[in-house]
Amino acid sequence: MANTATLTTDSKQTWGGGKSPFSVSYGKLMMWIFLLSDAFTFSSLLVAYGFVRFTFTSTLPNTIVKPFAHLSHSFVEDMNKAGLFVTERWPSPELVFNHFPFLHGIHLPLMFVSLMTFILIASSVTMVLAVEAGHRMAKKEVEKYMILTIIGGAAFLGCQAWEWTNFITEGASLSGNPFGPTAFAALFFIVTGFHGTHVLSGVILNIVIYINVVKGTYDKRGHYEMVEKVGLYWHFVDLVWVFVFTFFYLI
Amino acid sequence: MEHIEHLEHTESPSNMKSQIWNTFWILLVLTVVDIALYFALLSNSSIYKNILFVFLGIVKAFYIVSVFMHMKFERKFLVWIIVAPMLFVCFLIWLALNEAGYTFDSRLF
Repeated sequence: MANTATLTTDSKQTWGGGKSPFSVSYGKLMMWIFLLSDAFTFSSLLVAYGFVRFTFTSTLPNTIVKPFAHLSHSFVEDMNKAGLFVTERWPSPELVFNHFPFLHGIHLPLMFVSLMTFILIASSVTMVLAVEAGHRMAKKEVEKYMILTIIGGAAFLGCQAWEWTNFITEGASLSGNPFGPTAFAALFFIVTGFHGTHVLSGVILNIVIYINVVKGTYDKRGHYEMVEKVGLYWHFVDLVWVFVFTFFYLI
Repeated sequence: MEHIEHLEHTESPSNMKSQIWNTFWILLVLTVVDIALYFALLSNSSIYKNILFVFLGIVKAFYIVSVFMHMKFERKFLVWIIVAPMLFVCFLIWLALNEAGYTFDSRLF
């Protein structure tokens, strides 16, 4: 509110001291710098995935299993025999990630991960609405949107736990993979696990901020900037998921 | 203990709420387009398909960063501090894929 000098970028005024040259508080600037370093970490993991993926022959197009087809108990063995799940070929993601909770035995390619993506986008929207309500000092609205964001994050974590359980019971681990190259499962667990850890810490941070909102800490402080800072982190987690989704499920 | 703090920040536009919802719809449509393209191009294994998916991912990232993370309304200097270092990632991708090509050629099954 105090800073309306967006047009006067006189260097003396900007760098003369006494105020932020970026027109943001130090906390928010540091959150941005942290997110940049975190972006490098995720980039290196995804580049490692890209490297390994590039050294394997492309997937064979699946012409056997049609969507909504019945999945037999020997699905993985059948795919092994059909040459779709072999160690020298990257598997087609739609054949690996084809389960949906409560719809056991039906081939639903990528449907569950689409739902997960939708949940994360929706929780990003509720987060940014909480930030927007914070600008208006609307405590009750901030509370409502923070709770919705926490629920979205927890739902995403639940979905991921379900997917991991499924993948593990089918025989995938850090050192073995019935679907194809070992590196595929190893990188899947490492990258989605690292992302999931970020979601988990994001949910914990959101809960801490929610408690402070309810207690009226930010009301007394006169601004809801903490909601903005934790919001930046939360959107970053969504941003990373966009690329995890692209690389692991689409390419 | 608590006191009203002076806070430096850049202002949000008055139509922020509609911008948020527009971004939500853009992200949702792009995700649906992603999945539709995945199944439409299932038998295609060209490198251009991968570039297309990465491009769509970057478009989504642009909307998340610019609107959800408020980057569109920040000072240009801050924007460049965060965006410019990502050029190193582009270099790393180029480097890794180049080497991966040689590893592919030398791989013995």
